[in-house]
Amino acid sequence: MGKDGYIDTFKYFLLPFCLFVFGLFALMLAVYFSASIPIFKHEGLKIYTTNAWIASENPNKEFYGVLAAIYGSVYTSVLAVLIALPLSISFAVFVIDYAPRRLKEPLIVATDVMAGLPTIIYGIWGAFVLVPLLKKCVMDPLYAHFSFIPLFSFKPVTGYSYLSAGVLLGIMVTPFASAIIREAYRSLPFMYREAIYSLGATRYEATKILIKQIKPAIVAGLLLAFGRAIGETVAVSLVIGNTFNISPSLFAPGYTISSLIANQFGNAFIYKYMVSALFAAGLSLFFIGLAVNILGILILRRYGHGR
Amino acid sequence: MILAEKDRKSEEDALEKMAKMRHAIETIDLNIYYGDHHVIKGVNLAIPEKVVFAIMGPSGCGKSTMLRAFNRLLELNESTRVEGDVKVFGKSIFKMNPIEVRRTVGMVFQHPNPFPHMSIYDNVALGLKLNKLVKDRKELDRIVEWALRKAALWEEVENKLHKPASALSGGQQQRLCIARVVAMKPKVILMDEPTSNLDPISTKKIEELIYELKKELTVVIVTHSPAQAARVSDYVAFLYLGKLVEVGSTVDMFENPKEKLTEEYLTGRMG
Repeated sequence: MGKDGYIDTFKYFLLPFCLFVFGLFALMLAVYFSASIPIFKHEGLKIYTTNAWIASENPNKEFYGVLAAIYGSVYTSVLAVLIALPLSISFAVFVIDYAPRRLKEPLIVATDVMAGLPTIIYGIWGAFVLVPLLKKCVMDPLYAHFSFIPLFSFKPVTGYSYLSAGVLLGIMVTPFASAIIREAYRSLPFMYREAIYSLGATRYEATKILIKQIKPAIVAGLLLAFGRAIGETVAVSLVIGNTFNISPSLFAPGYTISSLIANQFGNAFIYKYMVSALFAAGLSLFFIGLAVNILGILILRRYGHGR
Repeated sequence: MILAEKDRKSEEDALEKMAKMRHAIETIDLNIYYGDHHVIKGVNLAIPEKVVFAIMGPSGCGKSTMLRAFNRLLELNESTRVEGDVKVFGKSIFKMNPIEVRRTVGMVFQHPNPFPHMSIYDNVALGLKLNKLVKDRKELDRIVEWALRKAALWEEVENKLHKPASALSGGQQQRLCIARVVAMKPKVILMDEPTSNLDPISTKKIEELIYELKKELTVVIVTHSPAQAARVSDYVAFLYLGKLVEVGSTVDMFENPKEKLTEEYLTGRMG
């Protein structure tokens, strides 16, 4: 066995760690499946297709449907991504292309700190500052003048709504998406920058063309942002209103899967099926995550960067 | 002895001829600093019109840096500082809009760098679109074809104009970059070691192209290979450690270098 042999055997050393990580994931999925079985036996897939939350001392009367929470999770996360998309791209471009050199590092550090803040910090700020602000400056005027549009059709009473959650999530996930986009943009080979400028491009034109070159990184950044958004719990619970509600209106309160689990978890043990219902709700997050990642891979493949 | 006299005479003639020609590019006491590092040291150079002018020298002598001063591309790097003046057809480039400078003075780089996410067609059309040099699609089609023919690439890509540029070979990509520049009809093309990453056959194609191009415009080519300078250029400048050592007609310099440094470089004892 030559020198190469050592390199080869290293993989046997790595294997247990790889198995451990993958094993944990598989085990967790298995636990979620088995814990969901009682509710599936009780009501079948209606748990995912109906909107109801009937907790009863009598197990026969218990009925749970988490459609509102699934709807709310997807709705608020899509909103978050839509908000994070322009924010994170503009921020990345500004930091790399336009910011004075002395400002670059501080800006990057600031976003890293933002990314690392405990989410309850955002939650409190969201509940006390963002929600009243959005209600006064966005929801009330839009409702007053455009309530005939379904998106704006709900009268904002408290301000706790899909919109508040979406905006807050958008702000929270921007540092993550921006970091990925920024690093990809920064690591574009200098020769492309030279090429575009040598053709007589202005700075704006150069940015426009160079940013197109990192589409895969933008998709990856937004996937990560979506994943963070859909998994966020505490901050969302504080601003979404926690109501079993399915409404197209941005100003209506709602629920998300993670806020539902967090809110109902405390008293779930009292009832026969509620714990199982919450596990089933959690299981749906696995599938949403899987679906989003597959979507991402398909998008990347369209750009010819698929694995 | 008599032969040497004659040589000197022809050399003087060549230099005189050079001085009389219209200058595509002229540098006046050009100094370039990269941070604290003094890269180009007081270079005075006059490049005549419609010739192939080679700038040769060992790696790290500042050739590429100097070339990037000619189209103000150095300004992309914040830590560079340029002193002195560069004139393009008698006009100081620092008094011109950088975009105008770059449209007049095109560039081909060491690594073929067409935009991989764009089609072959779009790569050639890019400069034309950016500078709004065409009126309509028909004219654009016509100039793209014309430029690809000029770059001797048309026959190879005719049927896949809308395929991504990344599908081409390295040599084809470099010719695509030449087409991209030629399409803008610049008066000067700067080439920064355009063949150093290519195989001999692709290199030969590019060198033939350079020969064709000089009928209509000026080519300034940077190379670390004396052999390439001898093959393609009419005039040559030898740069060493940021200083201009010698400049003259290619034939003269290769047959009869005046400076000892030049001779050592050409004979491979240095560099």
